[in-house]
Amino acid sequence: MAEVIARGLRFHVQRLGHGQPAVLFLHGVVMDNLSSWYFSVAPAVAEVAPVLLYDLRGHGRSERPPDGYGVADMVADLEAVLDAVGVDRPLHIVGNSFGGLLALAFALAHPDRVASLVLVDAHVSDEGFGQQMAATLKLQGEARLAAIAEHFSDWLGRHSERKRNRLASTARALVEGTSLVADLQASVPFDRAALGSLPHPVLAIYGEHSDIRHRGEDLAATLPRCELRILPGCSHSVLWEATAEVRAAVVAWIRARTEAEHQPGEDRPCGSCSSSRP
Amino acid sequence: MASAAPDRDPTAVLDTVARLLREVIGEDWVDEVEITMDTSFSDDLELESIEFVALAEQLQETYGDRVDFVGWLSSMDLDEIIGLRVGQLVDFIVQCPPS
Repeated sequence: MAEVIARGLRFHVQRLGHGQPAVLFLHGVVMDNLSSWYFSVAPAVAEVAPVLLYDLRGHGRSERPPDGYGVADMVADLEAVLDAVGVDRPLHIVGNSFGGLLALAFALAHPDRVASLVLVDAHVSDEGFGQQMAATLKLQGEARLAAIAEHFSDWLGRHSERKRNRLASTARALVEGTSLVADLQASVPFDRAALGSLPHPVLAIYGEHSDIRHRGEDLAATLPRCELRILPGCSHSVLWEATAEVRAAVVAWIRARTEAEHQPGEDRPCGSCSSSRP
Repeated sequence: MASAAPDRDPTAVLDTVARLLREVIGEDWVDEVEITMDTSFSDDLELESIEFVALAEQLQETYGDRVDFVGWLSSMDLDEIIGLRVGQLVDFIVQCPPS
């Protein structure tokens, strides 16, 4: 298994394409892992620029420590993973749900390491975020499974009892066996003034019927360079409900930016240009 | 030559894929399951999506860039992936052109 050690923890990482990663994908929390991006959007993006994915602490095949699940910790994890992989140029970061929140938090903390952001139905850290998250995660039994399935649906997971149970036991291990809920509740809200001067171009994609669509509308009004796209008929699970549209939007966004980075006459060797991938 | 190279011979490829699947799932029960061309990834093996990632990694190590499993999967929609059978993967590996 491909892994790196960062901040003393074992992180599962995957790379697609050749050369230094230019695009990073971040998944959501609890019932999610890097596979959601790996089989949906990442391969098409890897045709344009090299891609990096990793499982957040406690998720997928990464190590699950008992604590350290606050936004600041996850931002520090992200920076350490980039260092471990050897990424030293600004990245385009694509985040789904909580992964979008993490992408924004990372851009605020390390603006020089970010080239642009794509936020897919992203949560935003404010006064209500931690409580809302905790309310979902603290439900018991069937109610919790239903709520988790709705919020963190897994495309292969929701089709069989055994898989649902395995996913639910992973969720239970995170929710009951770690400080994740308390850490997320204790995370500091974003500084609105800092959001208002975020230098990066941002593409925000939200579902028309998403329960957090107002987050996208708020971001579009707050961030200086944010383009908001509402996908009709979709809920918070927009990545699953409109995979082709999300894929096309991300590929176009990355293509436009990586072409701008490689103007004619620039002779710098480029991993993706010499890729032997068919 | 009458016989195909091992990585192009369906029987040999099925053996390899079955071995990789048992490694990826890594649970005792899967040793009791007969893995054939007809075995369904979802219904019979109940493979989780993160296990598909591990399988992709193993296939890459085994067959190199000749077999673009991730690209192949990403060309399918959800229902196609859910309904995939081992034989479809074996056929895909066998028909991939030499690198």
